[in-house]
Amino acid sequence: MKIWNRLKYLWPAWRRQQERDMREELESLTAIAGANELGNLTLAMEDVRATWGWTWLGSIFADIRYSLRALRRQPAFATVAVLSLALAIGANSAIFSFADALLLRPLPVKNPADLFDVTNTTPDNPFEGMSFPDYRDLRNKNRSFSGLAAYRVTTLAVAASAAAPAQMCFANLVSDKFFPVIGVTPAAGRSFLPDEATAFAQPVAMVSYDFWRQKYAGEQSAIGSSLRINGIVFTIVGVAPASFTGLDRFALPSLFVPLGMAQRLDGETADPLEDRGRHDLVVKGRLSAGLSQESAQAEVATIGAALEREYVKTNRNRHMAVRTELERRMQQTPQLLALVKMLMGLVALILIIACSNVANLLLARGRARSREIAIRLSIGAGRGRVVRQLMTESLMVAMAGGGAGLFVAYGGIRLLETLSVPSDPPFVLGVQLDWRIVQFSLLAALASCIFFGLAPAWQTARTDFVSALKAGGDGSSGKGRMVGRDVLVAGQIALAMVVLIAAGMFLAGFRNMLVMPPEFRTDHLISMDTAPALVHYTPEQTKVFYRRLVDRVRTMPGVAVVAMAESLPLSPSQTAVNVAPEGYQFPKGRETELEFGGAVDAAYFSTLHIEIKRGRAFTDDDRAGSHRVAIVNQQFAKTYWPGQDPIGKRIRLKSAAGAPIEVVGVAKNGHYLAVNEAPAPYVYVPYEQNPRSRMTLVVEAVGDAGALAKPLRDAVRSIDGNVPVFNLRPVATLYESRVTDTWLQFFQMVGTMGFIGLALATTGLYGLVAYTVTRRVKEFGIRVAIGAGRRDIVWFVERRGLILAGVGIATGGVLTAMAAPMLAAGFPGLGVSSPAVYVFVPLVLLTVSAVASYVPARRAAGLDPLRALRNE
Amino acid sequence: MDLLQGTLDMLVLRTLRAGSLHGYGIAKSIRSTSNEALDIEFGSLYPALKRLEAKGWIASVWETSEHNRRAKFYRLTAAGRKQLVREHSKWADFVSAVGRIMGTLPEVKG
Repeated sequence: MKIWNRLKYLWPAWRRQQERDMREELESLTAIAGANELGNLTLAMEDVRATWGWTWLGSIFADIRYSLRALRRQPAFATVAVLSLALAIGANSAIFSFADALLLRPLPVKNPADLFDVTNTTPDNPFEGMSFPDYRDLRNKNRSFSGLAAYRVTTLAVAASAAAPAQMCFANLVSDKFFPVIGVTPAAGRSFLPDEATAFAQPVAMVSYDFWRQKYAGEQSAIGSSLRINGIVFTIVGVAPASFTGLDRFALPSLFVPLGMAQRLDGETADPLEDRGRHDLVVKGRLSAGLSQESAQAEVATIGAALEREYVKTNRNRHMAVRTELERRMQQTPQLLALVKMLMGLVALILIIACSNVANLLLARGRARSREIAIRLSIGAGRGRVVRQLMTESLMVAMAGGGAGLFVAYGGIRLLETLSVPSDPPFVLGVQLDWRIVQFSLLAALASCIFFGLAPAWQTARTDFVSALKAGGDGSSGKGRMVGRDVLVAGQIALAMVVLIAAGMFLAGFRNMLVMPPEFRTDHLISMDTAPALVHYTPEQTKVFYRRLVDRVRTMPGVAVVAMAESLPLSPSQTAVNVAPEGYQFPKGRETELEFGGAVDAAYFSTLHIEIKRGRAFTDDDRAGSHRVAIVNQQFAKTYWPGQDPIGKRIRLKSAAGAPIEVVGVAKNGHYLAVNEAPAPYVYVPYEQNPRSRMTLVVEAVGDAGALAKPLRDAVRSIDGNVPVFNLRPVATLYESRVTDTWLQFFQMVGTMGFIGLALATTGLYGLVAYTVTRRVKEFGIRVAIGAGRRDIVWFVERRGLILAGVGIATGGVLTAMAAPMLAAGFPGLGVSSPAVYVFVPLVLLTVSAVASYVPARRAAGLDPLRALRNE
Repeated sequence: MDLLQGTLDMLVLRTLRAGSLHGYGIAKSIRSTSNEALDIEFGSLYPALKRLEAKGWIASVWETSEHNRRAKFYRLTAAGRKQLVREHSKWADFVSAVGRIMGTLPEVKG
């Protein structure tokens, strides 16, 4: 039959007309032939309707209607089941959106599955960037990729005009053919032309869709207008589409500029694109059709090896690797992967608890409905048909739970959205409620429906209908079914315990952190970043600039002390340096290690109250030309010179061939990137001996630190209005957002999960105990009648709840013992599990179980024996 | 006698070649033409008619019958005629093939 003919029968009016016509015809034939002659016309009509097709659809609708009616009759059941699922599915979807933003979401490009990541790998860094000459050679020699694109993330100072203050923005410096290779077409204007790739070309830029909306209100006139970037006038030629937010997860670019501009933007004397030793490009390759990642890897490795032989100086120990985007993300940020795994694991447990809850409710309900089912079976319904009907009901519950779960997820996502990293320009986490999340919720609902619905449906349909119809019994081997329900409830309690202990470990780990005083002073301090290099200051000009700035700020009213550092502790961007400590034996193939480190001035240690444990702090005498010195932290000394006196040791910086500098002091350990990091080595060098192009000013205020923000900005402007100012904020604000806020939100998240798990398991236990009481009303009546006291009955019921809880807690203990090491391994600094957690969580579970069983126990004890016996 | 699978459609088409009939008339015609050997249940004939109509091989129209009663009369369409030719040749092939295998009725010793 043609599609059109089939579809016609979906139309209710058409079906009604066909139905009318059929009835009329059969009536007329009956009149002609006589009623008996034509046989079973009802069956004939049913067969005809079957030829119209869609009967399956009709019967599904009938099932759905019937299910909804059945659920409406038991609103308490429906509410508890839907709420359980909504909480669990919502938590899962929210965490999935988090995982999606951190790891899973594919790149916003055309056919993201074909786009591979190509990097250098070295013994020190498995994700080293590529130099432009290496990229060019790879691009020319390879046959695996239909196109290669390279780019580098940078921050640029952007201003509308020479008079306007500059704003820091993330930008991508992109190779030619970048947009065609990744398959992104501009929303307006055009992408870059081949002859715009060189350093001598007219400066052109593309802007992101958001930037276009914010700065140009989405006007077409933005194309062709000019923009000052790092002091150079650029012409805007195009706008990236809204869907394209760059190839990096957190640093979303506002601007795209040809890579050829790098030299002019950074004001460098040599062309960075001709420097084979400058390994800073991210390279993406679009795999040619029909080729595999393995073959591309093999070819790229060969090309890499050839380059290593040819350019020994710059490419020694460097290999090339091809990875998928997901591989790169997972390997590059293992701590995020661990976090995501833990959170996904916890919410999965919660989903299992919720499903057990619903399964339990369904089993109880199945018993109550065994009579109805028995009638349906006895009048000829197939068992498969009954299972289908029951599964439809489960599906309705699951879909309602999934739908309501989306609202829960939305709430969770709103909470996750507030997670932020204090930086200027801002990092974006990018959690969002999108189509992927909706799909995930529906999938979770479907999977849980099968999980909680199938066994109870099967159980119910197995009802022996003869005995079920007889005398109102339930006709099933009740014993086995009760054991099944006990197992479910004990299992719920066990899983709840795992979730709670995980939450407890989190709390125990964080409590130290939350109550820990910062290792440096945060009050009355304000910090400010400036980057004169962005507006093409020479190193000499930069030194003069900072000298003038410090002098000016020092004389400002309300300023007590001024200090400078390359990076502040806990600021999201930390500087690092390769170190080769004297006397330390590196593993074969390595000569240096990358460690946190930065330049600070003489006032730094005293201003931030960073204690010097041994030796001395820097002084004004540590000048350019004087004896070169360094200060290391305790962890540095412990790592590289265990058991030795670090004072007087020497370190070479940048490479094993660097000039030796002498350690003159040991500073107290601190946290540098995150408060939960393991103690990390740090090396300080004096600013005067190591002038840097970008420094952070730390100013101690006499009064309120925040009040200095404007005077500080004005101080920079009075020296040079083009020098961009950013990250201007009180140090206490930075500290709070880095320590308290982010982690407090994580803690709230994990705590909420623990609470949901506990609530769901308690509901399950309460439901089971209450149900048992209802079922055994008669028995309790007899017990009371033959002299059992109130107390006996209460204890009798209570005992059952406690036994279930006990079994659950014991099982949970075993599960936790298996899970805890994994948790501890994923979170260094957090794995310190306090024994208190192991005592506290079982106690909470026991108490809650006791209360949950006490409510039905009291009801059982309050039964009037006469009425109880008359019942049934 | 039971019908072989799939022959009912062919019988209906063949019966309607002679002229249009209503549903009960078709059943009666098949019964009498086969000398009462094929007694087709109206309950199975009627869905078959609807199926053939949906395929476009037969068409129906309300008419007044011989006893001045209204009934729905079915007639063969052009597509139905082609289909009948196809089915008929398939049937002939089938009969001759089975006939070659079965031969004449063997003597059964009892």
